[in-house]
Amino acid sequence: MTSTAHIDISRVSKVFGAGEQGAVTALKDVDLKINKGEFIALLGPSGCGKSTLLSLIAGFQTASSGAIVQNGRAIAGPDASRTVVFQDYALFGWMSLQKNVEFGLKAKNVGKRERAQIARDFLARVQLSGFEDKLPHEVSGGMKQRAAIARAMAPDPEILLMDEPLGALDAQTRVLLQEEISRLSSESGKTVVFVTHGIDEAVFLADRVVVMSPRPGRIRQIVTSHLSFPRTAAMRADPWFTSTVKELWESLKPEWQKEDKQ
Amino acid sequence: MTAQAVSSPATLSAPAPSRMRSASRRMLALNLIGLGLFFGLWQGLASAGIINAFLLPSPVDVVAALWEMSNDGSLWVNLAASLKRVCVGYLMACVVGLTLGFVCGSSQVMAEIVRPIVEALRPVPPLAWVPIAILWFGLGDLSAYFLVFLGCVFPLFFGAYTAVRSIDRNQINAAKCLGASRWLLFSGVLIPASLPIMMPNLRLALGIGWMCVVTAELIAAQTGLGYLIQQSRMLFQIQNVVAGMVAIGFVGYVMSAAVERIERRINAWAPSERD
Repeated sequence: MTSTAHIDISRVSKVFGAGEQGAVTALKDVDLKINKGEFIALLGPSGCGKSTLLSLIAGFQTASSGAIVQNGRAIAGPDASRTVVFQDYALFGWMSLQKNVEFGLKAKNVGKRERAQIARDFLARVQLSGFEDKLPHEVSGGMKQRAAIARAMAPDPEILLMDEPLGALDAQTRVLLQEEISRLSSESGKTVVFVTHGIDEAVFLADRVVVMSPRPGRIRQIVTSHLSFPRTAAMRADPWFTSTVKELWESLKPEWQKEDKQ
Repeated sequence: MTAQAVSSPATLSAPAPSRMRSASRRMLALNLIGLGLFFGLWQGLASAGIINAFLLPSPVDVVAALWEMSNDGSLWVNLAASLKRVCVGYLMACVVGLTLGFVCGSSQVMAEIVRPIVEALRPVPPLAWVPIAILWFGLGDLSAYFLVFLGCVFPLFFGAYTAVRSIDRNQINAAKCLGASRWLLFSGVLIPASLPIMMPNLRLALGIGWMCVVTAELIAAQTGLGYLIQQSRMLFQIQNVVAGMVAIGFVGYVMSAAVERIERRINAWAPSERD
C-alpha cells in the first residue's frame, strides 16, 4: 500500500455484539485520509460512532472490517505514537500532576532528572506551574484537563487523539481551553483528531470538520476551514465562522432532534 | 480562570485542625465512658456476688491472671506462637489469593475457569477443614497455617478480583497509549488503582485469619492463645480462660486498627476522585 496520508482509514466498519437482533453497527464503510499536522474534528450527535472511530485509531479496539494505517503500517494496538486525552481526564489519582505528566516519559525510559524537567516544561506550557505537586482531586476540572493534555504531549507523540476533552467543563473554561488547544497544536505541528459534539468548537479548531451521522455511523460531509492558525478569539466573529456554524446547525438539527426523542 | 482562584476552595473544604482535634477528643471520651460502664457493671455484679466467680471471673481477677501469665512468660510465648501462625498463613493467602484475584480480574477466561472452584470451596467454613488439616499436617504449626490460609484466601481473592474489575477502563487505556509496559501497567497503575477498593478486604481477611488461628489452636495445636484457653479450661482456671480471650480480643483490635490506619493513608487520594 502506497499512501502519503499520516492516517489512512479505508472502508472501516465496526459491529458490536452478534446475531440478527443483538448486533449494532457503530461504523459503516468509513473512508478518511488524515494528513500530517492536520487538525481533524469528528463532529456528530451521540451514537454517530465518532468516539468508536477514535478508539479504533487509538488501537483500543479493532475494526470489524477495513483497515486503519499509520505511516503505511496497520495499527495493531495502543502505542505511544498516538496518545489520548479523555473526557473524564483519566488522570492517575494517586500521582501528583508532575508524576502524571512524567508517566509516558517513564514508560519511554527517559532518565529521572530529564523527565522531571520535561514534565515541568509541559506543565508550564499548559499554565500549571506551581501546581506540580497537587493531586488531581485537589484541582479544578479545567486544570485536570490541562494536566491530561500535558501528559499526552510529554512523550512527543505523532498523533494526539482527543475524545470530547472539553465535554465535562463549564462554558467559559471550554472557550479558554479551545484557544489553548489551538495554540498548543499549531505550535507542536502534531496531527490531531478531536471528537466533539460542539459545532462551534469543531469549526473553531479544525482544518477539516468531519461531520458524522448515526445508525449506522458514517461520514456525511467534510467541511474545510477558511480560518488561519493559530485560532484567536476574534475569529469567532469571522463571517465564515458564523455562517458555517449556522449552516451545520441547520443541517444537523433534525438528527439532534431525533436523538433527543429516543 | 487563574490558577490561584481555583485552588482556594480545596483548602477551605478541609476542617480547621483544632476543631477536628476537639471532635476526636470528644469521641475518645465517649469510647472510654462506654468501656468504663461495661467493666464497671461487670465488676459490680461480680463483687456483689450476683455473678458466680466460677462461671465468670471479675475484671480484677482477669487482670491479675493476665499479670501472672505475663510474668511467667506463658502469655508471651503463646501470643508469639499465634502471631507467627496468623502472619505466615495470611501471607501465603495473600500470595495465592491476590495473584489469582488479579489474574482473574484481568482475564475473563481465567475468571470463568477459577470462579466455580472458588465458589464451591468458599462456603465450607475453616472449622470443617480441621479433621483434614490434622490428617494431613498433624497437630502444630502446619495445620494452623493451613486453616488460616483457608480462612483468608477467599476474601483476599474477591478483594483483588473486584478491585481490578472496577478500575476505570480509561485509566488502563491511558497507561497503554502512553506506552506503559506490562510491568509498569501492573505496578504503576493496576496495583495503586485497586488498593483503595482492596484494603477493606485485606483488613477483613486479617480478622478472619486471627479467628481461624484461635480455632485451629483450640483443637489442632499445642501452643498459642487458643491452646492456652483450652488448657486452662481443662485445669478449671476460668480466670485464665477469660484472660486469654481478652488477649485475643485486644490483639485482634490492635491489628485491625493498624491496618485501618494504613488504609486511611492509602485512601487519602481516593474519595474525592470518585465524585
